[in-house]
Amino acid sequence: MRWLSRLGKKPLVEKRFDSELQFHLEQQIADYIASGMPAEEARRRANLEFGGVERFKEECRETRWENQFDIFIRDFRFALRGLIKDRRFAFVSIFALALAIGASTAMISVVENALFEPFPYKDQRKLVVVHIRDLDEKDNSRSFFTMPEIEEIRKQNTVFEGTASNQQDDVVQMGTEASLRLDGNFVTPGSFDFLGVPALLGRALEDADYQPGATPVFVLRYKAWQGKFHSDPSAIGKTFTINGVARTLAGVMPPRFAWGGADLWIPCSYEAAQTLTSGQFDKYWGFVARLKPGVSENEASAEMGLIAKRLATLNPKDYPRHFDTSVENFGHAVVPQEFRNSLYLFLVAVSLLLLIGCGNVANLLLARATTRNKEFAVRAALGASRHRLIRQLLVESLLLALGGAFLGVLFAWAGVRVLSTSMPNSTIASETVIEMNPTVLVFALVMGVGTIFIFGLVPALRASRCDLQDSLRDTGKGLSGTGSNARLRNSVIVLEVALSLTLLFTAGLFIRSFLALSHVPLDFSIDHVLTARIPLPPNRYKTPAQITAFYQPLLQRLSSLPGVTAAATASTYPPYDCCPAEIEIAGKSREQKRTATLELSSENYFQVLRIPFLEGRTFLAEEVNGARRVAVINETFRSRYFKNENPIGQRVHLLLMETFDDPLPNAWFEVVGVVADAKNHGLENPNDPEVWFPYTVYPRPAWALLVKTVGEPTNMIETVGKEVWASDSGVALADPESLEHVRDVSMLAQPRFGLWLVTVFSAIGLILVTIGVYSVMAYSTSRQTHEFGIRMALGAEAGDVLKMVLRKGTMLLLGGIGIGLAVSFAVGRTVVAQLWGVSAFDPLTLAAVVMLLLSVGLAACWIPARRATRVDPVTALRYE
Amino acid sequence: MPTEKNDLHRGTLDMLILKIVAAGPLHGYAIAQRLQQISKDYFQVPQGSLYPALHRLEERGWVDAEWKDTSTGREAKFYKLTAKGKKQLEVEVLGWERLSDAVSLILRTAD
Repeated sequence: MRWLSRLGKKPLVEKRFDSELQFHLEQQIADYIASGMPAEEARRRANLEFGGVERFKEECRETRWENQFDIFIRDFRFALRGLIKDRRFAFVSIFALALAIGASTAMISVVENALFEPFPYKDQRKLVVVHIRDLDEKDNSRSFFTMPEIEEIRKQNTVFEGTASNQQDDVVQMGTEASLRLDGNFVTPGSFDFLGVPALLGRALEDADYQPGATPVFVLRYKAWQGKFHSDPSAIGKTFTINGVARTLAGVMPPRFAWGGADLWIPCSYEAAQTLTSGQFDKYWGFVARLKPGVSENEASAEMGLIAKRLATLNPKDYPRHFDTSVENFGHAVVPQEFRNSLYLFLVAVSLLLLIGCGNVANLLLARATTRNKEFAVRAALGASRHRLIRQLLVESLLLALGGAFLGVLFAWAGVRVLSTSMPNSTIASETVIEMNPTVLVFALVMGVGTIFIFGLVPALRASRCDLQDSLRDTGKGLSGTGSNARLRNSVIVLEVALSLTLLFTAGLFIRSFLALSHVPLDFSIDHVLTARIPLPPNRYKTPAQITAFYQPLLQRLSSLPGVTAAATASTYPPYDCCPAEIEIAGKSREQKRTATLELSSENYFQVLRIPFLEGRTFLAEEVNGARRVAVINETFRSRYFKNENPIGQRVHLLLMETFDDPLPNAWFEVVGVVADAKNHGLENPNDPEVWFPYTVYPRPAWALLVKTVGEPTNMIETVGKEVWASDSGVALADPESLEHVRDVSMLAQPRFGLWLVTVFSAIGLILVTIGVYSVMAYSTSRQTHEFGIRMALGAEAGDVLKMVLRKGTMLLLGGIGIGLAVSFAVGRTVVAQLWGVSAFDPLTLAAVVMLLLSVGLAACWIPARRATRVDPVTALRYE
Repeated sequence: MPTEKNDLHRGTLDMLILKIVAAGPLHGYAIAQRLQQISKDYFQVPQGSLYPALHRLEERGWVDAEWKDTSTGREAKFYKLTAKGKKQLEVEVLGWERLSDAVSLILRTAD
């Protein structure tokens, strides 16, 4: 370890070095004296020949590595001192860089995780779902299939390597005190091999589990095991009663496995699936396939089209008159189209942010470099080698880059945390885990750090290239930036302003759209309403009579609870009363196609939601209990189909009810009342005609419960749950929530998230632009100090100088705004699908954004402009 | 900018120093003297180049340094060629011969 001991003995090395040179000198003197020179003269000549001892020493030192370390430390301290002296520059460049790195990394990580790699499943990019889309009715599309259809697709296709089907089911695990309700999934044989994820504990489902006579088993999701089974590893191998069947827990899946969003998976052979009647959509199964290698989505779509045509001729009832068939990437099918578009849009925005940030840093470095030209020329003249100059600037850049990178990683980390917690759940796959993407982080860091090094080295390269005398003579304070450098800086600013305007304008549109959306009157009251689903086990609740026997006493008991004013049941929650279906009206021709949304409900439904009656009345209790064929219609229905006639007593034919496997024969209903319109097709859409009829006429397995409470609705969850359990211990409340919460989550969460995201990003953009404008203006005015001095000496007023600076700033801003407007209009066209109640060219938003940008930009110019007016002509002219 | 030291010059000096110390351990002053004597005063090696070159060669492991007493009883730093330095010297001499042969060939025949 000679090198280590050398580092420790540095003073000794230094001393030895001195004595070596001393020896040389003395030898020389001795030689001169020996040749007859007088001692005094010999000494003088030897010293003269030897020259500057210190310079040789320095050169010798540079050849030794332990001194390299010293030099580095010295450069480091020098750079740090320089940056501290110019701390506004240092702070602004580090901040701009960190903001750009952080924001882009966070956003790209989220998009990557949510859109491109949302699942832990094997070969997930090859997973597809098949869509049957009705060409006449846009909303009418399905990607679910009946078991016979799935059998046919499996038999006939040549494009899929494997398939898996699943069927959702509400699962109740019977307990001694209260029953536990979980989301279950029936899965077909081979599903777990298809997904290719091994179990975390125990085992996944195997082929043997699907054989007739096999021990009934199930597999748990990590989250359910953690929450409802308290992460107890000994639960594996134990038996639980699930929907009345004793099943053994075979294994627990790893955290990201969430197939079908279920809590547990139950094996179901294809034979058993044919006759399964307990699922939520009983006959329709989810169907996912994996494309064979080399098969494109288009090829698969074409073949699925042929198979679907054949199936349609066998079962015309199950297919729309005109339809097309397509396969779609599974990940895309899970993330809604609009949300995907917003994420792509943000992705573009954020990449632009990274560019803006790097542009700012480049601008700042260039500006600083130009003012330092002379410093480098002087140092070169004093003997600094090119090598040393470059190294010293590298150290300075390294400091800036380290600061920016460190803060940037911090920002990225915080950004990912915030984004992942504020992401609306319903819009991303439940398997998605949002975490920082290291590749993106590295890319952003390389971009940012690269900018610093490239533009940070410019002064050294220039100093070593340019003529020394020129630099020394140049006062550096001539006219304002002319030449290519200045043009480059100015165009960076113009582009930044344009980008920022586009971002701000988009944000403004989202804000306006969100405000419009959240102010849409629902026309029914959502306060103090508790909602829940009550999934009834289909094997015990087959007939209307059985269902009535459960609900009628339950609703009565709930209504009489203290703190409850009314209770009702209905087939869905408003305002999403799904899917208009064809109807017929007695005495009117069927030429004109009439549709209405069908809704089963109890008599108190209108009372709970405070929907007023315009004519007639609600159902009578005996009509509901007796399953009588009576109906209530909404105002849209009346005005569209009855115009001036009296609707009371009219008869409507609900054709849909006769098409079910278990049809309601002769589905004619008599209108007994008309209610005012309430939103029934989401917030964004106009109301559909709607018909309500007693829930007792047709059995459906899952029902919505609506309870009007006096106090906070969620406080009543336990009380209501107990009543349900008392009615039937095999039934449990599903998803109890206040209706207000449901409204917030289902209707506003996604637009709010989009709004929030775009606002944050445009705010970051605005900050970066402010920094950009400020840095360029501050730099160019400092270059003009000399010019301002002359002007003021010749009689210019402070106001004139102020005007000059501001005029230049305004020109840059206006240029950027002009380009930005053009880009905004182009972008507006693409975001228009995500806007509601506001035009993509909204003039108010436009004016506000332009004003904001102008005022912020001018404020950024103001500081350097004010400084320019304070120039004292005498000092400015003497300054040099 | 000051002109950078000529690489050929620097390399040549290194080679000459290696050659000189190949004959036996010498201190810096003696090396300078020998260079001057052998080249018949053609080379006046400035100390400013000599000592950095010696330290550079030592850093690369081509020469080894040792503090020893001189004939006059003073302590001085003696440099001697290492095995690695010997190999390097062979390489450089070969390179130099090729270069000078090529150069003189051109000078003689290129008219």
